Amino acid sequence: MATSMELRCWGGDWGLPSIHTESLVVLAYAKFSGAKLTVAPIDWTWRTLTGTVPELVCQGSTVTEPAQILNYLRKLRFNADYELSARQGADTMAYIALLEEKLRPALLHTFWVDTENYSSLTRPWFASRSPFPLNFLVPGHHANTALSRILLTKSDSPLHTITEVEGKIYSEAKECLNLLSHRLGTAYYFFGNTPCSLDAFVFGFLAPLHKASLPSSPLQNHLRQLENLQRFCDHILNAHFSSHPGSPQPVQETVDANLQKLTQLVNKESNLIEKMDDNLRSSPQHKPFRADPRPSPSNSTDYFQSEEPTNTKMNRFEHLLQTNIVTFHISVEIMNVHDEELDLKTL
Amino acid sequence: MTLMLSVPLTLSNFSCYSPVCIDSSHFIMSLAAEAFVSQIAEDQILLSDCASSLAVQAYLRMCNLPVQVSYRPNAEYMSPSGKVPFVHVGNQVVSELGPIVQFTKAKGHSLSDGLDDVQRAEMKAYMELVNNMLLTAELYIQWCDDNTAAEISRPRYSSPYSWPLNHILAYQKQWEVRRKMTAVGWAGKNLEQVYEDVSQCCQALSQRLGTQPYFFNKQPTELDALVFGHLFTILTTRLTSDELSEKVKSYSNLLAFCRRIEQSYFEDSQAGSSSRGYSKGPSLF
Repeated sequence: MATSMELRCWGGDWGLPSIHTESLVVLAYAKFSGAKLTVAPIDWTWRTLTGTVPELVCQGSTVTEPAQILNYLRKLRFNADYELSARQGADTMAYIALLEEKLRPALLHTFWVDTENYSSLTRPWFASRSPFPLNFLVPGHHANTALSRILLTKSDSPLHTITEVEGKIYSEAKECLNLLSHRLGTAYYFFGNTPCSLDAFVFGFLAPLHKASLPSSPLQNHLRQLENLQRFCDHILNAHFSSHPGSPQPVQETVDANLQKLTQLVNKESNLIEKMDDNLRSSPQHKPFRADPRPSPSNSTDYFQSEEPTNTKMNRFEHLLQTNIVTFHISVEIMNVHDEELDLKTL
Repeated sequence: MTLMLSVPLTLSNFSCYSPVCIDSSHFIMSLAAEAFVSQIAEDQILLSDCASSLAVQAYLRMCNLPVQVSYRPNAEYMSPSGKVPFVHVGNQVVSELGPIVQFTKAKGHSLSDGLDDVQRAEMKAYMELVNNMLLTAELYIQWCDDNTAAEISRPRYSSPYSWPLNHILAYQKQWEVRRKMTAVGWAGKNLEQVYEDVSQCCQALSQRLGTQPYFFNKQPTELDALVFGHLFTILTTRLTSDELSEKVKSYSNLLAFCRRIEQSYFEDSQAGSSSRGYSKGPSLF
């Protein structure tokens, strides 16, 4: 495609190519599909108030809204979902709907309605990116839009105040994060080994929450506990955006091949440990209460530290050896390789 | 199809005026089911509310809970969230499918216990897809399409009230829905785009369902109830144009799915509704 495409969006900060969810979705999708976009940040222009972001300008036509832009790019043969089956395409739609319905209200609240975050992070950021008289208008304008959107979509009656819906939207958003974490598991991307449009959307929604230094956010604290979602964001940033000029993470640019290999090994290993863990849990002798819905790999050591009668512990250990002996061997082997890798690295 | 089961559960949906009441100590015999069916034609219930009510009814039937549906003109104002349907059990009132599912789960009735974490995530995602696309499209067609709003929605919505309250309430409702559409970015869409969205949503559901009897193998879940509620209502409701139901009709597995649920959960109770008034499983309390 010889035509040049220009994307107007909010600029980057906090280690992200853009801090704006919708802009991030489009940027990530363009990277995944190989579309070459010229990014034209709207910072310090009058478009901060008048423009709809993100906006794609191509051959004289303009397209707005992430979903429309993605469709437009697909028509130009920039398709990141080419390898998905019809069923996976349906799943993509469903998860995007989940994000829109459950996560977006809480994100809008976190960034625009929560007084502490708004006054110490969001308002200063957007004010500093707007030209002189607009710096007084732009943040307030966005905050009002966000507030009315939350109230109109989540509030039970038009007279309710924001405090009455806060609890509801945050619990829904946390549940949504948990569901995404379960769905992602230990994989790098949602479908297979290549990123697709769902990855772009999840990245767009999660990355600002992951990177922003918010003074108060229950949602961010919740995300901190879901390691695989954080790793997902970091991985996309490193693999697809690491050479971005605005990125203050130049260290990441020299992605060590060894390090990557090592991470892969560690991942496989934790996968195996988790599997063993699950087998153990589902064994008939052992029906434990599962406090943590997604046990982290480190939990596996708990079996040998817990305060139960020794014979049950022995039983369980035997069971582990019997049912998982193969997995165990593989795991140990991988650990050895892992150690070698480490030695290699230190040398 | 709009049978009422006698029950300790009362389901209430607004325009159809159906609050659900559950009485734990005794079961109420179902009342004139046929009378209801004929009465609905003149009722005030609208497509979107009818769909949500049917979804809850289907869910409760799938759980084997006895339900009595009652129609009240003021159900919208009786509901704690301002939305229909709601169930009234003992001295508790719960509205909308999500909270009702949680409520029945707390009482020991759940359809999604057999799912693993990933399947549960998938189920929730598809439920949001239905809410995000089908429900919004229904609201759009009812209140933002001028033809439908003038010919169907406003007259039906305002039918229980006298002048001038009928106009005030109907326009207030329309204004409220239109503001919501603006907030979610649907205000700029035209009818064609909305039909296109419905079609895409149905295609996704059809792909997901495939040739299975229910969305997750052989057991129905709340997703099946929700999808059934919406699709069945769309298929059986007459609007100013047939285009909406035509979109659904092009997916044969979805049609068969609706038919299957109707047969298994609604039709067999027609013959012996009084005998089925007693719940088969454990009662809610």
